[in-house]
Amino acid sequence: MKKTLVVAEMALREVSRRRGVLVLLALLPLAFYYSRRGEAYWQSVRFVSLGIGWTLSTAALFAGNAARGIEPRLRLSGYATHQLYLGRLVALWTLGLALAVPYFLLIRFDLDDVRYDAIALILALTVAVAPPLGLAVAAVLPRELEGMLVLLTVVAMQMMLNPDKAAAHALPFWFTREIGVYAVESGAGPDHVVRGSIHAAIALAVFLTLVAIAATLRLRRRPHVSIA
Amino acid sequence: MTVDDWLAALAAELRRRRVDPAGPVGEAAAHLRDSGRPPLLAFGPPVAYAAAIVDSLRGATLELRRPPSGEVRLRATKITKRYGRSTVLDGVDLSVRAGEVVALIGANGSGKSTMLRICAGLLSPDSGRVELSGTVGYCPQDGGTADFLTADEHFMLVGAGRGSSRAAARAQGRAAAAALDWPGAERAGEARHLSGGTRQKLNLVLGQLGDPDVLLLDEPYQGFDNGTYLDFWQQVWRLRDAGKAIVVVTHRLSELERADTVLDLTPGGPR
Repeated sequence: MKKTLVVAEMALREVSRRRGVLVLLALLPLAFYYSRRGEAYWQSVRFVSLGIGWTLSTAALFAGNAARGIEPRLRLSGYATHQLYLGRLVALWTLGLALAVPYFLLIRFDLDDVRYDAIALILALTVAVAPPLGLAVAAVLPRELEGMLVLLTVVAMQMMLNPDKAAAHALPFWFTREIGVYAVESGAGPDHVVRGSIHAAIALAVFLTLVAIAATLRLRRRPHVSIA
Repeated sequence: MTVDDWLAALAAELRRRRVDPAGPVGEAAAHLRDSGRPPLLAFGPPVAYAAAIVDSLRGATLELRRPPSGEVRLRATKITKRYGRSTVLDGVDLSVRAGEVVALIGANGSGKSTMLRICAGLLSPDSGRVELSGTVGYCPQDGGTADFLTADEHFMLVGAGRGSSRAAARAQGRAAAAALDWPGAERAGEARHLSGGTRQKLNLVLGQLGDPDVLLLDEPYQGFDNGTYLDFWQQVWRLRDAGKAIVVVTHRLSELERADTVLDLTPGGPR
C-alpha cells in the first residue's frame, strides 16, 4: 500500500507541474458546459461530464505514455506491477475529483429544477471511468496523437450518436445520458440511475481489466530469468 | 591560480585517476619552490599535467585488472535473439562474479543493449537462460527518468521500491551524485531542465540506489565531461571492491583496460 501511495504522490507531483495542461484541463469542460447552457441547459449537464471525461482520459493517456520509460526501472527496483498502475490511477482519480467538485458547485448554483444528487453521481462515475479508459488506450496505442484521436472520436460519437442506437449504449460514457435523463427530467424514474450505474460499473471493470492485463504483460518477469 | 590552488587541483585530478597524489604533488611543489615559476607556466593546467603523470605510470595502473574470485552473480547461457531474419545474438554466454567488472563491447547493432535488457529480464530471448543471484540495478541508455520530477523525488520513488525510507534514499542518492561531481543534486530542478550529462548522472545514480548486487549499465557516461567520466570509473571500482557484479555496455575502446573481463559481441569477434 505504501509503495502504491508513493507512486500516486509522485504522479500527482508530475501532473501538478504541467501548469498549461492543468489550465486547459480546468477550462475545457467549462467550454462544453456553456456550449449548451443557453438553448438546451439540460444537455449542458451531460456535456460538462463528457468534457471532464475527455480531459481526464486524455491526461491519463499522457501520464501512461510518460510513465513507460521509467516503469521497467521501477519494476526492477521492487515495485509490483499493480502498485504502478494503481498508484497512477489513484493520482488521476484525485485529480478528477479536484476537477469535478467545482463543476458540481457551478451546476448547483447555476441550474434550477435538476436533481443534484444524480448530477453528483454522474460526475463521480465520470471521474471513476475516464482514467482507466485513458490508461487502457495508452496501453494499446503508445503514440499520443493516435490515442488522443481515439479518445476524441469516442467522446464525439457519444455526443452525436442517436441514443436509440445500440452503438451509443456500447460507448464508455453512455451512463452520463442514462443518469442525465433522471437528473433533468422530473418525470423520469430511478431505473435510469440503476441502468446508468450498471453501465458505468461494467465500463470501469472492463477498462481496469484491460489496464491490468496490458501492464502485467508489458512489465512481466520473463520466464528465461531465474533469481536465486 | 595560486600555487596551493594548483597543487590542490592536481591532487584532486590524480585521485580521480586512482593515483596516490603524495609523490607527484610533493615533487611538483618542490620544483615550483626551487624554480619560483608560476605553476601554469611550469606545468600547464593541472588536468593536463595529471593526465601526463598517469600516462607515465600506465604500467602501474594496470594492476586494477585482477582475476575475479567472488561467487557468480549473473550467468547468461546460450542467449539467442533474432529480429525478423536478422540474428542479433547467437548463443552468447556471459558470466559475472561478485567483485568483477565486465565490459560488453561490439559494433553498432551487435546486440549490446539487447543482451543487457535480456539479462535484466526486460526482454525475452528466443532461447537461452539467465540466472541471477541477488538484486539488480539497471541503467538504460536513455530514458529511465521522469521529466517533471526533481532528483530528490526520483531518489525517493526508486528508493521506496527498494524499501528505503525517504531520508535514506535521498541521502544515498545525493552521496552517489556527489561522487559523480554533481554535489548539488538536492537543489536540482525537474529532470527536463537538466543538461544531457547531468540527466545521465541521475540515470546512473538511480541504477545504484538500494545497493543492488548486480549492476547493468548501458553506456551510462553519455554526455559526461572528462572529469565526470573518470569519476564514473572511480565509482565503478569502488562498487566492484564492495563486491558488486557489474556489466558496462561500451563502445569506447579506452575503457577496455578498466574492466576485468571483456565480451565482444561483434559477429566473428573474440568472445
